[in-house]
Amino acid sequence: MNYDMNRDSNPAAIDYGKLVLEDRVHSRIYTDPAIFDEEMDRIFHRGWVYVGHESEIPNRGDFQARNIGRQPVIFIRGDDDEVRVLMNRCTHRAAVVCPHESGNAKRFVCPYHGWAFLNTGGLLGVPHSERYDDGFDKKDYGLRPAPRQAAYRGLMFASLAADGPSLDEHLGPLAKAEIDIAFDLSPAGKIDVSCGTHKYGYAGNWKLQAENSTDGYHLGFLHRSFVEISLQRAGVTTAPDYGANAPYRLRSLGNAHVAWDMSSPAATRWLTGGAAKVPAAQQEYIDSLVAAHGEERAHKMLARGGPHVLIFPNLVFIQTHIRMIRPVAVDRTEVFLYPYRLTDVSDKINGHRFRGHQAFYGPAGGGATDDLEVFERITEGLRATVDPWILIRRGLGQEQIESDGAVTGQFTDELNNRAILHYWRSVMSGEKILGSTRETAI
Amino acid sequence: MPSYHDIQQFLFFEARLMDEHRYDDWLALWAEQAHYFIPAGDDERGINYSIALVNEERPGIEDRIKRLKGGAHYAQDPKSQMSRVVSNVEILEENEGELLVTSTFNLTAYRKSVLDVIAGRTTHRLKLNGAEFRIAAKKVQLATSRGVMTNLTFLV
Ligand code: FES
Ligand SMILES: [Fe+2]
Repeated sequence: MNYDMNRDSNPAAIDYGKLVLEDRVHSRIYTDPAIFDEEMDRIFHRGWVYVGHESEIPNRGDFQARNIGRQPVIFIRGDDDEVRVLMNRCTHRAAVVCPHESGNAKRFVCPYHGWAFLNTGGLLGVPHSERYDDGFDKKDYGLRPAPRQAAYRGLMFASLAADGPSLDEHLGPLAKAEIDIAFDLSPAGKIDVSCGTHKYGYAGNWKLQAENSTDGYHLGFLHRSFVEISLQRAGVTTAPDYGANAPYRLRSLGNAHVAWDMSSPAATRWLTGGAAKVPAAQQEYIDSLVAAHGEERAHKMLARGGPHVLIFPNLVFIQTHIRMIRPVAVDRTEVFLYPYRLTDVSDKINGHRFRGHQAFYGPAGGGATDDLEVFERITEGLRATVDPWILIRRGLGQEQIESDGAVTGQFTDELNNRAILHYWRSVMSGEKILGSTRETAI
Repeated sequence: MPSYHDIQQFLFFEARLMDEHRYDDWLALWAEQAHYFIPAGDDERGINYSIALVNEERPGIEDRIKRLKGGAHYAQDPKSQMSRVVSNVEILEENEGELLVTSTFNLTAYRKSVLDVIAGRTTHRLKLNGAEFRIAAKKVQLATSRGVMTNLTFLV
């Protein structure tokens, strides 16, 4: 069976080195359908792509229909309790066998000719199979699994390439440490991702959302009114500094993974509801984290106010939710937000996190809708190509290398965009295999 | 008790205020103790377990209006142009000074060359305040709540 996804494409045709420079990138990388096709082949259909968290499918037979790049898959727990990523395609004549977004199924029966597949993928039955020749064997025609699957803390990633760097190598220790914050803010080290979904779509390229997820520069402007109104409500009188003197850092973690570190008492207040609101619940929560993880780590994580990291290309953790970016076309993107509960944490704290999330995010939220508006304004503006360049030069040359190996910049720098796009250039031009080496150059 | 006609008139009036972005007038329809709820898909696990599109009490509703009025909520700059039909009004419960009313709506919204159609069922808990109604609770179950949406920053 040949799963080779490499199309017969000619990498010399597009000169990526001319489109992504040190301090600027060309509009075409967001607008050219041929580049989008190559991104699908070289990034989404070859590298490690996030598919879902195992807590979304807790019981045998539970499934979620997902996509890897443009390809439909089923993320499913089989009757043998194994979690798998199966291609959502009948092995007879290609109809998707699972038309539902989520649910529980013992088997999938294809409606066209009735081929029936087990929730472990195996082909159970073929109607009137006596007309097949002797060379036809049912066991050769199970639903095809994604060629490679690997999990980190229950986060399932899959790759459609039969070989390549491991997930371990793709993530690297620094990105893992950021992901760990999301889980270890639960004293049990667990999260529950089966709490519903916020779904957005926008007319724009997927990279706009990937870059924006760790764009510190916009926070104090695009979201200023949201922040001011929320602080007034909370009775906070000193406005936070999201400007060029803010002490917060952006962290480039290698392989285009980027985090921001806004450690501050305000971040802790945001996470825990603030002593004024739920004092008993807050203290109980903090104590439980200290007991589980020790004082130093507990306070370090609390200071962060939650995780904030892009795992290239399609996974983001932001404070309350997991975000999955789904490229649909060069100018169409869907974004799925999965707010999660911290396991063994009170309803007061989890409820507070949810209400904070709901105010800002979702299609009726007061914050993220403004980001989407900007993505669409960018899509429109990109058509004006007299000057086709987009700047990524804030803080260029002022990066620092930390003792843990992270390359960092001031919060409002465009270190995030450089980390993503310079890495993107080396993968797209074929200089580097996605996920293959620790990337420290910015 | 108010007549079926009075209840309809109130729902139609609220719809017009929402269509016309009359934020303060709309806010004035709400009771002091209020709950505004738009589930995202299912809500059977409860508000601390299931994420909603909107789950706000009076302070949250006021903040929403403040953002819309402040001029820096860019998703409503320019504003959506809207027209909605409210229909199928049923009185579900009626007891002293309080009513539970359900209705359906069909809303066409136009903004920056995109036409959106949004439909759903609204359930109002209305309190009588003298001769006037106040909204004590409002739940909007969107027909499209499971779908991918971009902009629901206008009033529904
Ligand atoms: S296409 Fe599925 S059974 Fe024929
Ligand atoms: Fe934003």
